[in-house]
Amino acid sequence: MSETVVVIGGGPGGIEAARQVADLGAHAVLVEARERLGGTPIFANYAALTPYFANAEEAMDAMIAALEQRRRAQVRTSTTVTALSGEAGAFKVELSTGETLDAGAVIIATGFDHFDPGRERQIYNYYQYPDVLALQDLEAQLKEHKVVVPSTGRAPESICWVQCVGSRDRNIGNEWCSKVCCGIASKQAIEVRKLSPQTRAYIFYIDMRMYGYWETQLYWPAQEQHHVQYIKGIITEVLERGDRLVVRGEDTTMGRPLEVPMDMVILSVGMEPSAGTKAMGDVLGVERNRHGFIEVLNPPLDTVSTTRPGVFACGAALGPADLEDTISSAGAAAGKAVAMLRADSLAVA
Amino acid sequence: MSPTATPTPTHADSAAYKLGRTYPDVPLEEKQRLFDEIKADERFHDYLYGCYECGICVAACPSARYYDFSPRRIAQAAAREDVELVYQQMQEDIWDCSQCFSCLRCPRGNNPGGIITVMREVAVNNGLESAKQALRGYTRIIYKIMSTGTQVSPDMLQADAFPDWGPSVAKVSQKLDLWRRALPPETHHTTTTGWEISTRTLVELYLIWHKTGALNMISELDPSLHSLLEEVMEDLLDEEGYELD
Repeated sequence: MSETVVVIGGGPGGIEAARQVADLGAHAVLVEARERLGGTPIFANYAALTPYFANAEEAMDAMIAALEQRRRAQVRTSTTVTALSGEAGAFKVELSTGETLDAGAVIIATGFDHFDPGRERQIYNYYQYPDVLALQDLEAQLKEHKVVVPSTGRAPESICWVQCVGSRDRNIGNEWCSKVCCGIASKQAIEVRKLSPQTRAYIFYIDMRMYGYWETQLYWPAQEQHHVQYIKGIITEVLERGDRLVVRGEDTTMGRPLEVPMDMVILSVGMEPSAGTKAMGDVLGVERNRHGFIEVLNPPLDTVSTTRPGVFACGAALGPADLEDTISSAGAAAGKAVAMLRADSLAVA
Repeated sequence: MSPTATPTPTHADSAAYKLGRTYPDVPLEEKQRLFDEIKADERFHDYLYGCYECGICVAACPSARYYDFSPRRIAQAAAREDVELVYQQMQEDIWDCSQCFSCLRCPRGNNPGGIITVMREVAVNNGLESAKQALRGYTRIIYKIMSTGTQVSPDMLQADAFPDWGPSVAKVSQKLDLWRRALPPETHHTTTTGWEISTRTLVELYLIWHKTGALNMISELDPSLHSLLEEVMEDLLDEEGYELD
């Protein structure tokens, strides 16, 4: 029985899983395709993490530093997993570098990709209009402590978020709620109103899904203290009129069609199974569900075991997840993986 | 009011334009001033937090069943600071509210009825046409309360006054004095007032209305009613040794 757990994906979930494996006394090898750890919060230029507004770079650096202190944890960057053979307790994991690892268990932590608003058809003219952005594009601005209209370089008079872009949409094929976009749009709106108090901020939504404490951490403060205007009604199209944009939707409060001039439109793009999640599904021989994320065997009481014994998954590889869910499921996956390695010596009689 | 064909670009986002009545003769600055007066009221921020648009206030609202009236729209317009729409609501909507405060069941702790209270006060204090119109129907009642201290009096039971009070009214009105004297409390042996009002009570009430500005509101909204009241009450105040400034 190998004492090693291979963790695939060096974002928050993978880092946490590897750390916990090491802390539980087993050995972890964290394999990351990119040249450094940090995952989406780093590579998509996140500014502040939802919902506590922690600086993303500092938070991830602290996670990475904590992992590096673990002597039982190793990291392989710029490396991917190319094949898996053997079975639970005695896997052989082949890497793109030619290395082969002996592993008792594997944890998939390959996360999500942002929905691409031009993937199926042009939605909201994301690729045509420079002032139509996606959440992560605005994050990159916020990371530099600014909010500017790309075409003018000036602060926007009006900015809006359009929710559920690439989520909850049968036409696009993504039928799930991405869970975090309501909170992230609200977080960004607060940040924009703080950076540029004269900017009017609107969020157009189907229904706001601010579960748990996000209600009073994000939604209520955005609305009550920062006067972000939440308008129930989704935008059907974004048009150019003169040198501004116009969004068209329904003002459901008044029960009438609505047109509002905007300087910037932010598309609240949802989560999709990442390229890594899709690839690892095939390479590791685990099933993915009809939405494309990794299938769990026994929900809801086992949230991390995949269809292949000895292979576990965590975070947004399993479906839309916020950071807190990701860290929690990473711990669950690490616990189950290490418990499996030890099953012979510690089996319950 | 005629619909405005071309809204100004600055305020094209006001929902008021969608309804076609925008009171173009009233300058935007005036609408803004009235809204600022509402917002400056110390109750305002306790009455309005944020709106989910859940509609529970509309569901609970008796007026919403009878009129094209929505407490949700009131809260939403105020939250958006849509001064055009708020003005429109002050002219067209706020008097549809019965001030029953059923809307207080709002999960966010909003008080649309309270916002309306403030809007009404601002409408009255600024002599808005809607306030004049709304109070016009109450001239008789205001006169009755302010000159007698009671609102409803037995002598209002007249055959032709309130048809909806039923066919027995005519019969009852013929022997009002007798009916009233049959009541056990002697203070109810009256026909021109609901019950006996002492001169002192009447004078005190009048002074309260004077000092709180209620009489000023009436002079703003209905000058002829105001002068009628003054005339009636002047003698009484004189007799009691009061002099109003």
